[in-house]
Amino acid sequence: MAAAWGRTRRGGGGGGGGGEVAESIYAVVALVLVLVACVELGDAAAAVDVYRLIQYDLAGAPLGSRLAALNHHAGAFPFAAGADLSRTAVIVPIRDLDLSFLRDYIANKRPLGGLLLLLPQKISDKLGGEQKNDDSGLVKKILVELEQLLIHAEIPYPVYFAFEDEKIEALLMDVRKGDSAGQPSTATTGGYKFIVSLPEPKKLSSPTISNIQGWLPGLKEEGDANQLPTIAIVANYDTFGAAPALSVGSDSNGSGVVALLEIARLFSRLYSNPKTRGKYNLLFGLTSGGPYNYNGTYKWLRSFDQRVRESIEYAICLNSIGSWNNESWNNELWIHVSKPPENPYIKQIYETFSDVAKDIGVSIGVKHKKINVSNPRVAWEHEQFSRFRVTAATLSELPVAPEFLESTGGLYDTRKSTDEKAIYRSVKLVAESIAKHIYGHEGRNIDIFADNSSLAVNPYYITSWLDLLSQTPRVAPFLSKNDPFIAALKKELSDHTVEVHVQHESLDGIFTFYDTTKATLNVYQVASVTFDLLFLLVLGSYLIILFSFLVITTRGLDDLINIFRRPPSRKAKAA
Amino acid sequence: MTVFHFFNCALLTFGPHAVYYSATPLSEYDTIGTSVKAALVYLGTALVKLVCLATFLKVSENDTFDPYQELLKVLIGFIDVAGLYFALTQLTHRNISQNHKFQAVGLGWAFADSVLHRLAPLWVGARGLEFTWEYIFQGLEANANLVMNLSLAALGSLMWLRKNKPRTLVPIIYACAVILATMPSITCYLRRALEWHTPKVVGFELVSSLVMALISWQLFSACQKPI
Repeated sequence: MAAAWGRTRRGGGGGGGGGEVAESIYAVVALVLVLVACVELGDAAAAVDVYRLIQYDLAGAPLGSRLAALNHHAGAFPFAAGADLSRTAVIVPIRDLDLSFLRDYIANKRPLGGLLLLLPQKISDKLGGEQKNDDSGLVKKILVELEQLLIHAEIPYPVYFAFEDEKIEALLMDVRKGDSAGQPSTATTGGYKFIVSLPEPKKLSSPTISNIQGWLPGLKEEGDANQLPTIAIVANYDTFGAAPALSVGSDSNGSGVVALLEIARLFSRLYSNPKTRGKYNLLFGLTSGGPYNYNGTYKWLRSFDQRVRESIEYAICLNSIGSWNNESWNNELWIHVSKPPENPYIKQIYETFSDVAKDIGVSIGVKHKKINVSNPRVAWEHEQFSRFRVTAATLSELPVAPEFLESTGGLYDTRKSTDEKAIYRSVKLVAESIAKHIYGHEGRNIDIFADNSSLAVNPYYITSWLDLLSQTPRVAPFLSKNDPFIAALKKELSDHTVEVHVQHESLDGIFTFYDTTKATLNVYQVASVTFDLLFLLVLGSYLIILFSFLVITTRGLDDLINIFRRPPSRKAKAA
Repeated sequence: MTVFHFFNCALLTFGPHAVYYSATPLSEYDTIGTSVKAALVYLGTALVKLVCLATFLKVSENDTFDPYQELLKVLIGFIDVAGLYFALTQLTHRNISQNHKFQAVGLGWAFADSVLHRLAPLWVGARGLEFTWEYIFQGLEANANLVMNLSLAALGSLMWLRKNKPRTLVPIIYACAVILATMPSITCYLRRALEWHTPKVVGFELVSSLVMALISWQLFSACQKPI
């Protein structure tokens, strides 16, 4: 109360004082307004995490989504035939996606404002049993096709992926309702507006690929001058997919990495005791650049000394061994080789593997694919070894060689589609086969890594590493040299092996990548300009009526004679 | 477009004050000084109210309706009436008729209230891309508030400035003034305890303000007659 008294006394005092007070108040108000104007608050109805379609140049040809910034009204299927969608951000769940529509749009280079693809959230956790299987099968088929379509096309508008949730579903319903009411949202009719404010994507300067290697040296007998033979176990760890921030590649090739780490752990226990140390060196290699014709493997092999390369008796490459344990893969693993199976080395590898496979109940086959040296395409990792004249084979669940940028750990390749039991059995198969070879137990029924023994394969180790890999997007150009993930792999490998070394190489020239893989999509519910115009009209008439009413009534109180005479003149003046 | 919307909402919120000033004889007699002073008194009153609210009221985590707290709020709300009393009786005005005085005070009071409570949210919110009805309702609320403040000021001037008024009307005047003074608490009650939605609350405010204005007007003209 005292404050009020004081303030009003001062305000009510001399005229000059009042003016000063008023001036200072104006100054403060102006300052506050300026401050408020500077603060732009994020007041969107919803902010959604979105993942951008990859943008890259392949030998100068622009591919992927060429734009990142989005500012358009939302629209959903179905559209009227021939509708102009060049200013519409189309939102569509993967499940309902009409691929032929999209293919048509891309092939004919028809413009869209933007595309927001909704991925099912943790593929139907809520749905039970059969429906789940049907659904996920369908989604997988669409996703695989969609991914190939998107990464091999040049798309001149922004394309984003997001996960479905209640917020987005409600939004989609609203958009659909608006569309079906015959009011597709445009600038004049309101609706929802999608905004991603991002600068233009920049080229990534010289992407690096990092190969990690570790050794388990064998026991060399004294006086033996010859170098010990080496067995190499190799897996590529990086991925490639339509959305780099979602390419976790649990199966391709997370499963191979997990298996390699577990095999390294098992053999490190054997090799830590001089009595069980074999007469073979073991070389473990985690290579990068797998999707790009195994460029990392090539660089890695090239960096070896000729003598080291010659000492490699054979190399086993692990690729996609995490989901063969079900019907769609026929419970079958394949050994892919590039020399004919009659070759004595290949024959020996295959026989050892199929022996062990029989023991643990896995069916295994051999596939031969010749290398065409003039073809730059390297479909399997072992082909890089073969080009350096090192005997090698790839263990994989894929029956045929994948095409370029296919099966490289894309959108569908998540933890859900990978089975740790399959990896467990693969680890057992590989470890047992190699051990048999090292200790010369071929043909004998000895179970070295028997379950429940101290050398048993550890399913928890496999699961925890698989979980970690399934949460880590690993597209090589977006993994920096000092990425914590690479450091983690290095540390894990150095726990089991010695002479661990990380080799940084640059990815060979034909690829250029662009940054910005993640963004935040702001969804605004907007009113149309027509609404605002109408509102202004109503408001104007309201104020005019109010004015006339007040003039009529109050002047009447003041001066009865002037009630009817003066209002018109006042009105004219005001107008 | 959004600046357009902001402009619309601001027009709805502050337009009626300007229209009222220019349409009524207030502008002819140059009563702006009185309005400004009333606005300053409002600022002081708001400060005192704020201090009282902060001192006596507990901060409730949820939006439930606590009768005891609300009663306290009503009592603190009467500080407004005290402020209005001060503005009507203590401020020195140049030769200004009672008619104009209460109007100028009520107008300044309502305008200061609107500026203090509605300008900042409007500036921050209505310029954004997101469209909500909130600011339109807020503008309507400002209209109702203007009418109520004018009515309260009219009743106040009857209570404190007019000495010879019909005795029978005195209780009615006081009852109406109490109702008007407790109006913020009533709307709060409707919002919280009965969980009315904003459109309904705003509609109620508009209707009740018009009714109260009509009653106050009748009372005012009834008191005017004997003179």
